[in-house]
Amino acid sequence: MGSLSSEDDQARFRSVVLPHLAQAYALARWLTGDRADAEDVVQEACLRAFRGIGGFSGVNARAWLLTIVRHAAYTWLGKNRSGSLLMVDDLETVERQQASAGASPEQGPETPEAALIAKADAARLEAAIADLPVPFRETLVLRDVQGLDYREIAEVTNVPIGTVMSRLARARRRLIARLGTEEPGDAS
Amino acid sequence: MTVSTTDPRLLVHAYVDGELDPAHVLEMERQFASDPALAAELARVEALRRAIQEQLPSETAPAGLARRIESSLGLRREDPRALSHPSWRALAASVVLAVFLASGATWFALRPDPADTTADMIVASHMRALMAPQPIDVASSDRHTVKPWFNGRITEAPRVVDLADEGFPLIGGRIDVIGRAPVPTLVYRHRQHLISLSAVPAGRPTAAAAREIAGYNILSWSENGTVYSAVSDLAMPDLETFAKAFRAASAER
Repeated sequence: MGSLSSEDDQARFRSVVLPHLAQAYALARWLTGDRADAEDVVQEACLRAFRGIGGFSGVNARAWLLTIVRHAAYTWLGKNRSGSLLMVDDLETVERQQASAGASPEQGPETPEAALIAKADAARLEAAIADLPVPFRETLVLRDVQGLDYREIAEVTNVPIGTVMSRLARARRRLIARLGTEEPGDAS
Repeated sequence: MTVSTTDPRLLVHAYVDGELDPAHVLEMERQFASDPALAAELARVEALRRAIQEQLPSETAPAGLARRIESSLGLRREDPRALSHPSWRALAASVVLAVFLASGATWFALRPDPADTTADMIVASHMRALMAPQPIDVASSDRHTVKPWFNGRITEAPRVVDLADEGFPLIGGRIDVIGRAPVPTLVYRHRQHLISLSAVPAGRPTAAAAREIAGYNILSWSENGTVYSAVSDLAMPDLETFAKAFRAASAER
């Protein structure tokens, strides 16, 4: 850097990054939980993307940009919400302990009816997703809200496909357990 | 996708997401039929997915975010609203522009070369194809399938050759629209990279030309009145190897 960006870099930035801005913003909002913060994260991510545009391989612009957004969001979370970045290892330890105590959050006593889950409204869904631990939340959002396939999610979150699948399964089971047991309007 | 796990509770998710290969799909469907608990889990996961898709609309970026980002990066903005500014501003701008031009700088956007426009459109079609769920309209590695598919759609089907032996298997074809004309495009794969090969019939003969547009390499050549353009994110030497293989294969026939 240091020198002025070339016309090519500017054109490339426009054609590679800007078409995916809405998705970048959506991911940032799900990770930070706030619209203004999401905008800061996207701005920072775009700066990084612009500087790194020469290193973009040219294949999957969306996955490339979302990877950068995720890094920027993690930096932001580390600075502003360090508590929310519970490491996955810790998470898995907690779950194992709960499971051995017979109370895994994903395998609650309830096996709710699908019809009950189908009735969940936007506010309940939003709240339930927002409460997921970050690794589960980002995997679920990338898949079910943003429509990436497993391979792309593995690329963005930098884990093997098997991990994507298990995180997705656990995220969904948590949502199912919560949406299936809590009545609408019941603030538990 | 090939999955290494056999836990059906986990595979339900891959099934719902369309990530299983056909053999696993059949296996899962057999299990759903025989295992009510697993079928109930499938219903729950599908209900959740549907609820998310119906209830959570896709996000739009805040108004003006793209503009703020461009200006924070110091990008020059081609702002169409500049035209509707008060006339004294337009006048001032034109003076600035005149000075700019007079200073010897090139203002490439003013009069695009028609050949450049075609190349741009070919690259844009390739990019568009990469973003689509399928980069091709007909998926087949069999040229006897691909060629007839074109026959039913455009007046002149392109020459279709498979280059699997040369490391560039044919994966299918599509029709792009270049300058208001439908143009047949063949799609080849090389390792993880796709190559779009557009055949513009009755194009102006051009000397072979290699260039980079928007980060993609494009290589064009004329052959018997058809202008071929190969676009890919492959490195130029690989793209040249591809072009050579295509020309050699088509010369045989």
